[in-house]
Amino acid sequence: MGFIAESFRTALSLIFSADQDVFAAVRTSVGVAAWSVLLAAAFGIPVGVGVGISQFPLKRVVIVVLNSLMAMPTVVLGLLVYGLVSRQGPLGGWGLLFTPKAMIIGQTLLAVPIVANYTLSAIKGADSRIVPTALTLGAGSLRSMMQLTREVRFGIMAAVIAGFGRVISEVGVAMMLGGNIRWYTRTMTTAIALETSKGEFAFGLALGMILMAVSFSINILLTFMQESHQP
Amino acid sequence: MKPAQYRLTEIRAFYRANLALEVDELTIASGRLHILAGPNGSGKSTLLSILAFLMKPSHGEVVFAGTQVDWQGKQLASLRKRVTLLHQHSFLFSGTVSANVAFGPRARGMAKENVQRAVGESLAMVGLDGFESRDARHLSGGEARRVALARALACQPEVLLLDEPMAHVDKQSAQIIESLVVSLSGQGTTVVMSSHYEQLGQRTESKVIRLLDGKVEKIVEGNGEAPSRVVDGYRYAKL
Repeated sequence: MGFIAESFRTALSLIFSADQDVFAAVRTSVGVAAWSVLLAAAFGIPVGVGVGISQFPLKRVVIVVLNSLMAMPTVVLGLLVYGLVSRQGPLGGWGLLFTPKAMIIGQTLLAVPIVANYTLSAIKGADSRIVPTALTLGAGSLRSMMQLTREVRFGIMAAVIAGFGRVISEVGVAMMLGGNIRWYTRTMTTAIALETSKGEFAFGLALGMILMAVSFSINILLTFMQESHQP
Repeated sequence: MKPAQYRLTEIRAFYRANLALEVDELTIASGRLHILAGPNGSGKSTLLSILAFLMKPSHGEVVFAGTQVDWQGKQLASLRKRVTLLHQHSFLFSGTVSANVAFGPRARGMAKENVQRAVGESLAMVGLDGFESRDARHLSGGEARRVALARALACQPEVLLLDEPMAHVDKQSAQIIESLVVSLSGQGTTVVMSSHYEQLGQRTESKVIRLLDGKVEKIVEGNGEAPSRVVDGYRYAKL
């Protein structure tokens, strides 16, 4: 128990003394996750809306694939993207491996199915009168879709938050594509894994506490926004 | 002579395998009030959806103001801007009453300065002046119905289609809606309204189209008596 308490005190001290290693990992984590989720939203939201409102022959298959991709192991995804961006891979000439850009690519691919699926659920749960109402008021197809998206914006926001939660807490992609390089590609999760294996439990605990704080803050913010806008 | 607002020929509409509407021939004159009467499931809402260009019939031809409807692309979008349907269970978008009423004029490309005027005038027409900043989701049933009607009116449509506009509303709202409908048709707007409320047809210059089991049963003049002849622009459809 003394070990835990001592580690906890050291962790707090690292946080409040603005330890450079701790905050470099936090910056990288939040930055990479933010870019990834932004790109995932740009791809995933239209996919979710498109699949949700359209009728096409292989729709069920697409939904099953999207659902399955949500459970994609991060190391497998990291491995696939590694194959693409490594020196021998088709994108090897771009020099992306072990850079934040490679991590963003991998984490975006990780988050797209999550954002798309949550968006799809929000669209499926939307009031069926929204689109006909918009159409009969003179809106074109695109504007009607935008109105539908607007009406389910809290569901879509939840999709984005879920995507963010997934990428900020994953280790596999960040480790395989970023390489855990200090002050460059080291994230909170890869640092926790590394430092704990080195016996630096307090350092890992400090990052774990920040990771939890970031996740909780975002969820609290989402809940607050939803409650303040609901009738 | 103005062309008929709608001319429907050999219309068949199905919901899955069920035939919901079967109209051999029906013409709707422009600038008049029409009441679609009939029991639940008689095809009123299906007919209104076709007239609103929201539902393509499985078979048949629709001619709108002399133009054959091809149910595709730009023509369809353009035709939808000339009509507005007030659904039976109308949906108000989240946001203010003003944003709801302004949606149609904006979608139809009305100039910004005219949008606010259209919003104010439409709300005044339904007796809801001063409701602009109210939350659309915090209205009584009657108020919500009137906001939905104001939203349709703000579009200044050539054809106003109303699906049971007076169902489940208070007496005051029903009176406002009735007087508006009569007034609009008097000003040249083509109004097609489904209703169980046939008395309105008897009191006004409207024409009542009675539907039964998806077919036009008969067409009646405003005095409630079945015409002894084919009346302006109308012909009996398959009985």
